[in-house]
Amino acid sequence: MFKKWSMFAAAGALTLGLAACSSSSTDENNENVSGGSYPERAVTVVAPSGAGGGWDLTARSISKIMSDTELMEQPLTVENKPGGGGAVFMAEFATKEADNDYMLMVKSPPILINNHKAEGNSPYGYKDTKPLAQLTRDYGAIVVKADSEFDSLTSLLDAIKADPSNITLAGGSAPGSMDHLVGILPVFEYGIDPKSVKYVSYDGGGEAIASLLGGNADVIATDASTITEYVKSGDVRVLAVSSPEKLEGELSDVPTFKEAGLDTDFTIWRGIFGPKNMSDAAFEYWNTKLSEMVETEEWKAELEKNGWASEYRNADDFTTYLEEQEKVIIELLTALDMQKQ
Amino acid sequence: MSTVQFLMDGFATAFQWHNLLFAFAGVVIGTAVGVLPGIGPMSGVALLIPVTATLTSGLPAEAAAASSIILLAGVYYGAMYGGSTTSILLNTPGESSSVVTTLDGYQMAKQGRAGAALSIAAIGSFIAGIVALIGLVLLAQPLSNIALEFGPAEYFSLMLLGLAAVSGLAGNSMTKALIMTIAGLLLATIGIDAVSGIARFTYDIPVLFSGIEFLTIAVGLFALGEVFKTILEKDEEDENIAKINRIFPTKQDLKDSTPPIIRGSLLGFFIGVLPGAGATLASFFSYITEKKVSKNPEKFGKGAIEGVAAPESANNAASGGAMIPLLTLGIPGSGTTAILMGALIMYNVQPGPLLFEENPDVAWGLIASMFIGNLMLLVLNMPLVRVFAKIIQTPKKYLLPIIVAISVFGVYAVQFATFDLYLLIGCGLLGYLLSKNDYPVAPLVLALVLGPMIENNMRRALTISNGEFSIFLTSPLSLVFLIAAAAWLLVPLLLKLKGRQVIINEED
Repeated sequence: MFKKWSMFAAAGALTLGLAACSSSSTDENNENVSGGSYPERAVTVVAPSGAGGGWDLTARSISKIMSDTELMEQPLTVENKPGGGGAVFMAEFATKEADNDYMLMVKSPPILINNHKAEGNSPYGYKDTKPLAQLTRDYGAIVVKADSEFDSLTSLLDAIKADPSNITLAGGSAPGSMDHLVGILPVFEYGIDPKSVKYVSYDGGGEAIASLLGGNADVIATDASTITEYVKSGDVRVLAVSSPEKLEGELSDVPTFKEAGLDTDFTIWRGIFGPKNMSDAAFEYWNTKLSEMVETEEWKAELEKNGWASEYRNADDFTTYLEEQEKVIIELLTALDMQKQ
Repeated sequence: MSTVQFLMDGFATAFQWHNLLFAFAGVVIGTAVGVLPGIGPMSGVALLIPVTATLTSGLPAEAAAASSIILLAGVYYGAMYGGSTTSILLNTPGESSSVVTTLDGYQMAKQGRAGAALSIAAIGSFIAGIVALIGLVLLAQPLSNIALEFGPAEYFSLMLLGLAAVSGLAGNSMTKALIMTIAGLLLATIGIDAVSGIARFTYDIPVLFSGIEFLTIAVGLFALGEVFKTILEKDEEDENIAKINRIFPTKQDLKDSTPPIIRGSLLGFFIGVLPGAGATLASFFSYITEKKVSKNPEKFGKGAIEGVAAPESANNAASGGAMIPLLTLGIPGSGTTAILMGALIMYNVQPGPLLFEENPDVAWGLIASMFIGNLMLLVLNMPLVRVFAKIIQTPKKYLLPIIVAISVFGVYAVQFATFDLYLLIGCGLLGYLLSKNDYPVAPLVLALVLGPMIENNMRRALTISNGEFSIFLTSPLSLVFLIAAAAWLLVPLLLKLKGRQVIINEED
């Protein structure tokens, strides 16, 4: 009788033991951490989307650099929580996790957009979090398949103008969220009713690219940084990027919206947020650690590899920047007739 | 270089002693992860990423990437092996892909054939793993292109077929099966809608925003339902039934299982290739296929070995198939493959169209190690069957508290919310009442998993077609699925109207 039990228990103990390994091996160094004993265990950083998108890559880069440079003794693990263009996890983050010092979130303009758009409004905005830092800057890209008939942004826009029901635009997030805005911004500037554009939303940038490659979408709006791999392999062509000036690297030949004759641009900043009621110790810890992280060579190399521009703002500056950006987003949504009344 | 040459190089990588060790550690942990409900393959792999990062830190970048992905992938398919264990022994599915295994697996265990069920699950998983790998080596490129052709319309129709087929699952009444299916679909609408971001049926209660967790419902309905049944009905007779006659399957068992294993492997592999469809759909499609082709479908749900062999082969083959979109397109088809992809990215290895050119060592080393890992799993699992199978002999007064404890721990480990514990207990009572009145619970659980996918794909398809429902009929593949789905529901109905006795309505 006893023997059977011990065998069963052994299998369980094995798993538990391994789970414990991840934390116990690092416990000894804990005293060196500034600001008391935080963090006492692994911290989770959530990418509120599926794998492969911009949030996901940013979260994984932070986690990687924090462990590579040994800035953090405790592991920083990445979790994907997709849904509603980030709104699903945002609701959880602002309510259930509001006191959880061990849960961070990577986010970008949708934290403002979701809070102000009329359709699918999220009642929670950046004020329901504690902004910790802005880390990077990225831009939107309008992408077609390599063998597409459209060879310029203008030819695509002309086709949409002629018959909007012929062209399917896809993106990795919900209507009214960032991929959608990036996609319809040039459309709007070109004088086409943005509501007439057919927009199909997928769970994350990866699925959107699949739909483009499989011919289920004619054009996708996505982040300039995530598309380079597919440009290199020759599968897709980028028609335009939303940056104010030409990008460097793989996309250096691609015209900007301005060069395509549209007076607009769109910056995708990415930042990291703590829970609303984050303790002072945890807040100080992250403010310090992140400012140290962005100075490391490893972080700079990581940015370059991903095609991101570095743009660091500490917690205070980031909060001020968010206030300004909120106004910009409200203006944009108002122009598109999509703002919450 | 030819494929064979690449594969040989891959084996050279995989046979390095530290990689053998990594593969072994991966499959052992994977088996344990699969056995324990609550720690699914997803959290298991996520948990181990920092550990492997530390272990491989001394190696050069490319080699470190190969070694860690070998270990992490080992956890992934090892969990598919282990996943059947609690389904068979305790009626507790640890993940959605082993829900159907409970139907016949638990019945077999009750009849004292737990050993046979567990062995056949291991053997089936092994064969399926090898079939999927051969498919991966030979068909990766063409299949990844076909998977891309699968648009929202095709997904919708395939999943609708899945739901229609659910009606063939368990139970004597198709009406009751359909009622449960609809109930599952309704439950699936709770939460914030992933397409529009609008909250539905949440009543501003934060715990409902992310929807109802599948695991809570499944563990409640299956495992706790069984516990309540045993307690309330004072099921004493089981003490005698649970004697184990033999550990390994009989010749007849093996003969009966061979075709289901082969069919399950192939079906599982092809469904696994489709991103998003995954192991769950594969496992229950293969179960239903077996029930349809069987000469005596009435024995399904009462301990048919085919009902264990087919889905267990299918879910393992699906995990092999899911590697195709991951490695060739950089598109993860499931939560676990998404985490595997994240791990590769951590090592500067970008899965996608360039992976096989830029990092052949990683890609082929992984494939080769999966051959070795599957063999290790078979060798590892067969002796364990003897150990696990005896759990069923544990007296009820000890076994029931253990099932309750595992269920509570498992659910709480995933959700960290007391709400889910109340829901778990509620589902347990509901599960007892439902099965007492012959309402099958499997359709509800599967509808809960498929519901959001069906809905989102339908809405995408309709956007593409400008609201024309004809898009589901003009795509040939979609049309085939829809016709099959309609036939599934209508044929038995028509036969019944004609007054003929139909298998599905046969009372025993």
